[in-house]
Amino acid sequence: MAATNNILEAAAVTKQFGGLTAVNSVDFVIGRGSICSVIGPNGAGKTTFFNMITGVYTPTSGTLLFDGKSIAGLKPDQVTTSGIGRTFQNIRLFGNMTALENVLVGMHARLNANLFGILIRSKKVKAEEASARRAALDLLDYVGLGSERANEISKSLPYGDQRRLEVARALATNPKLLLLDEPTAGMNPQETAALTKLIRQIRDERDITVLLIEHDMKVVMDISERITVLDRGIKIAEGSPELVRTNEQVIEAYLGRGAAAHGKGGRRPATAT
Amino acid sequence: MSNAVKVGLWSGLLGLFIVVMFSGRSILMCGIITGVFAGLLAGARTDGSTMRDGIRDAAIAAGVGGALLLLANLIRHLLIDPLVAQTPPPLIDDILVGLLAAAIAVVIGVAFGAAHFLNGRVGLASARVPASSAATWALLGLIIIAYPFLDQAIQLGWIGIIITSLVFILLAMGLNVVVGYAGLLDLGYAAFFAIGAYTVALLSSDHLGGQLGFDLRLSFWLVLWIAAAMAAIFGLILGSPTLPLRGDYLAIVTLGFGEIVPIVFRNLDRLTIKIGDWVLVKNFNLTGGEPGISPIDPPVLPGMNFADRTDQRPWYFLLIAIIILSMILINRLRDSRLGRAWMAMREDELAAASMGINIVQTKLLAFSMGAFFSGFGGAFFAAFVSGAFPSSFDFSVSVIVLCMVILGGLGNVTGVIVGGLIIELSDRLFLPQVSLFLQDLAKANPTLEWLQRFDPNLYRFGLFGLVLVMMMQLRPEGLLPNARRRAELHEGEEPVEAVQSVVG
Amino acid sequence: MAQTAAPATPVVQRRNYSSLIIGVVLLLVFSPLLLSIITQIIANPLLFIEALKVGVINGAIIAIIALGYTLVYGIIELINFAHGDVYMLGAFATLVFFGLLDLNNTTPWIVRAPALILVFIAVMAITALVNYSIERFAYRRLRNAPRLAPLISAIGISFIVQNVGLIVGGQTLPQGDYWALVSFIAPVLIACVALVFARRIQAARPVPWWGWMLLIIVTGLIASAGFNLMHSTLQNVAPIDVGASIMGNTASGPKSLPEVIAGPTTPPAILINTSDSKVLFRLGWKDMMVLVLSSSLMFGLYLFVQRTKVGKAMRATAQDRDAAALMGIDVNRTISLAFILGGALAGAAGMIVGMYNNTAVFTMGFTAGLRAFTSAVLGGIGNIAGSMLGGLLIGILASLSDIYIETRWTNAVVFAVLVIILVFRPSGLLGEEGGQKA
Repeated sequence: MAATNNILEAAAVTKQFGGLTAVNSVDFVIGRGSICSVIGPNGAGKTTFFNMITGVYTPTSGTLLFDGKSIAGLKPDQVTTSGIGRTFQNIRLFGNMTALENVLVGMHARLNANLFGILIRSKKVKAEEASARRAALDLLDYVGLGSERANEISKSLPYGDQRRLEVARALATNPKLLLLDEPTAGMNPQETAALTKLIRQIRDERDITVLLIEHDMKVVMDISERITVLDRGIKIAEGSPELVRTNEQVIEAYLGRGAAAHGKGGRRPATAT
Repeated sequence: MSNAVKVGLWSGLLGLFIVVMFSGRSILMCGIITGVFAGLLAGARTDGSTMRDGIRDAAIAAGVGGALLLLANLIRHLLIDPLVAQTPPPLIDDILVGLLAAAIAVVIGVAFGAAHFLNGRVGLASARVPASSAATWALLGLIIIAYPFLDQAIQLGWIGIIITSLVFILLAMGLNVVVGYAGLLDLGYAAFFAIGAYTVALLSSDHLGGQLGFDLRLSFWLVLWIAAAMAAIFGLILGSPTLPLRGDYLAIVTLGFGEIVPIVFRNLDRLTIKIGDWVLVKNFNLTGGEPGISPIDPPVLPGMNFADRTDQRPWYFLLIAIIILSMILINRLRDSRLGRAWMAMREDELAAASMGINIVQTKLLAFSMGAFFSGFGGAFFAAFVSGAFPSSFDFSVSVIVLCMVILGGLGNVTGVIVGGLIIELSDRLFLPQVSLFLQDLAKANPTLEWLQRFDPNLYRFGLFGLVLVMMMQLRPEGLLPNARRRAELHEGEEPVEAVQSVVG
Repeated sequence: MAQTAAPATPVVQRRNYSSLIIGVVLLLVFSPLLLSIITQIIANPLLFIEALKVGVINGAIIAIIALGYTLVYGIIELINFAHGDVYMLGAFATLVFFGLLDLNNTTPWIVRAPALILVFIAVMAITALVNYSIERFAYRRLRNAPRLAPLISAIGISFIVQNVGLIVGGQTLPQGDYWALVSFIAPVLIACVALVFARRIQAARPVPWWGWMLLIIVTGLIASAGFNLMHSTLQNVAPIDVGASIMGNTASGPKSLPEVIAGPTTPPAILINTSDSKVLFRLGWKDMMVLVLSSSLMFGLYLFVQRTKVGKAMRATAQDRDAAALMGIDVNRTISLAFILGGALAGAAGMIVGMYNNTAVFTMGFTAGLRAFTSAVLGGIGNIAGSMLGGLLIGILASLSDIYIETRWTNAVVFAVLVIILVFRPSGLLGEEGGQKA
């Protein structure tokens, strides 16, 4: 396969649950090193789309290529090993493990300790553990959590820190593509700004492509290079933030038919409920 | 009253109960138990923080405990012995022995109390542990090593029961890997115990050789590992059908296997394999059927005599060695990439998979590692009782071991050991003794004739069941749970500090 | 709990190749056995018909017990391990009543019939009450706890109930020992005293969890001792001689019940001979009794669940507890009802078996429970028609295994079937596709 400039290519991807079509023949590409967003009203199929990429669901039809190779139907752990990391819409940390342990779990696929080595506690395993710990602490610092928090039970961390820990854990999987599912949900403006900055840093410093699902339009407009809009499983618009902002169909999807008719385009649409 | 006195009262009460039920010889053992108990607890709950405080509190606790022991001996002498129509030794002897026991308790208690407050760190540069835990463990180690000699000296006769209890504790440690770390509810753990035992039985006895005409008697030291490996392999085999199952269904399937395996062992004593008219084997006695396979060769080690079963001390030390080895291996597993994968999988299987954890492999490894230690236990047990009998491997074994893990606090090795000791000793040591005591009481006193009908032994299982139910109602996290486990199990009750996640 | 946080679990079940391989291997290994069975069946069809008949009769009883499992699982997703033992209690309760009332084959039918009906109702009431209490006191608090807690509690209760069976079997109570009945006052009193005592302490200062455990264990022991004391005293002071001794005295052996339906010499109800006067089909009065009673019970339950308002409430609660609550259904009461019905059915099954086999042993709950649970799973757990079908199938399977393999292997065969169903088709025959709930 020739190396393409697109890290992810989805063609006519469809997901049906019995009679319900959650995602309907969506075409989607992400350029390497870009920050893209997927938006749409509730129930548009965004998380389902994410879940197909990450292996939680298998597409009913269509092709899904990551780095030129098909990932449709792979199991979640296989997808992660290929280089896609993710966070979850509702935080799914390992609540009763410490922050450090959560990040270390993220590194699971990148470590090599095998059963025998663990049982005999070989030098290799010991060294790998030590360096993994150091790397994990560095990641915690990187996302702004700091090493004092490392040994706290993750369930007891404040909400904003939990979100950041999820990002650290996803980064620990050493991804080429990072999927963030509503990373700023429930955050106040300061936390949101900090996270936005972090996302940019991740792309700039670590050369990771980022795909966001977001409802916070400020964040979306601010950070995305390209936005894709889904509504009821269909892609209704795609392009730069300005393009999407003024697109009639998008406004209609979010605000209802009346809003478009009254020429509400041109102004930023209100944050979707 | 201060913590120290409270601790002392509790330790002493325990000792009192033991001394009253058992003969006077047990009081010296009680002195040690009281001392350890008092010293450990006083150290943990002391109000002060210097070594002097530790010593003082431990001394008080052990002193109170010891005083209760002396009191117990007097009660025994003056009240109980006449009641059960036994002639007690001379009073002065009883008093002296009681004082001796109390003194032992105080000395040991103080030693533990002091050890708790040792400062600094010891060990290699790569693994520095606090001196206080190192010292405490060293003291415990001393007592563990000294026990058999004491048992021999005062002719206590508990060592056989202690050994059997320790086997079950080994099993509990293995089950802890499956249930506690990986969160896979296994109700059929006895199957692996059986596999370990029968492997040894088949490879280390005359059973197969006698029928097939050649000699197949491998050394115990080799068969021990083969048995563990066989158990691990069966862990893989029996684990693989359970992979897509969750919770209840997983429990039922493992229960099923736990029943099928002993039934198979019980019934493969008239094996006839025919293909058409060609008879492969006829009436071959593979597993010894209901009477099992017996005898089994004991281990051979120069300098130690395993064959003479009147002196069980070599067995004791062998088992302690196996347990220590298992503890080391289990700790290594827990603190490794695999251990973290197990815990992540237990918390949230999907999130774990999304972090690159191969769930199939991780579950299979949990089953096989858990089974591995059970194989050790089975192998030792078969050699120890010199036989593999199908009746030793029924559902109650699986439940008892599970009970130990739960009582001890899932996922906590120390807790499992403590829980195991409590259950096993209550079941094998105390309950029969209470029964005997009541019998003696009834025989010696016609007015208490109705007691003869009341046999606590009959209530064993009911009591077990009661303990299980009560545990789940009052303290599902066990005796010495991890803080995290406690948090998990009381989830529905306490409000979480962090803002509830937004439901998308 | 993961309930609020989890996205929908994937509907597609990934194929489990390792189990498929093992399944094929096992099939190959056992094919000679299967062939030999088939040849035996063809060689002796009369035996096969007899095996089927026995299977259907046993299956009917298993089906009734399975209904209890399915009702409870359908509504709170809990495997009530203790259910089989409640069935055993039913058999023992029957034993006690028959002993106290001195019922046997010589009792005139004009007394026997109403007595049997009363005993039937009494036994069902007792087992219903026991099952209700189990839910109320052990499971209710654990409704939102992780899986492990109610499961372990169920196992614990199973042990307790088995112990009760063991003890009751060892008393002379079933022989018509009225003093034993009266002596139950002693443990009840002791329990009340302990409760008051505990409340007083709790009010003064909270009792730690191990305090409660200690208290309960000690109370239990004192109560049992008290029972024995009172019983012996009463017997010694005023001995009553009621009825002949009808059972052995070993505590753990099987106890025999008197014949109340038909004796060994009673001619069969239906007898069909072949042309060369071999017995083609024979149905005794006891067999009739089993078939009539069990089908009535099953039919009755089916009607109840499908046609009554309360039954509808049960089905609604089973589908979606929260929605049912929002519709105004008293969820607690509905769940209790499921347990009460299940318990009553188990008791009825116990009595039927007691009258059929004339024996009761405290371990009978385990085997029957296992077979009943397998039936429930086979039919599709949560599905009432499924349990009935499953029961019949498992009954027939067990009977075929007893005759064509060997009785000592039958339990293993049933367990193997259970494992196979759970691995390859966990939703059962009549259940919905889609894997089982976490």
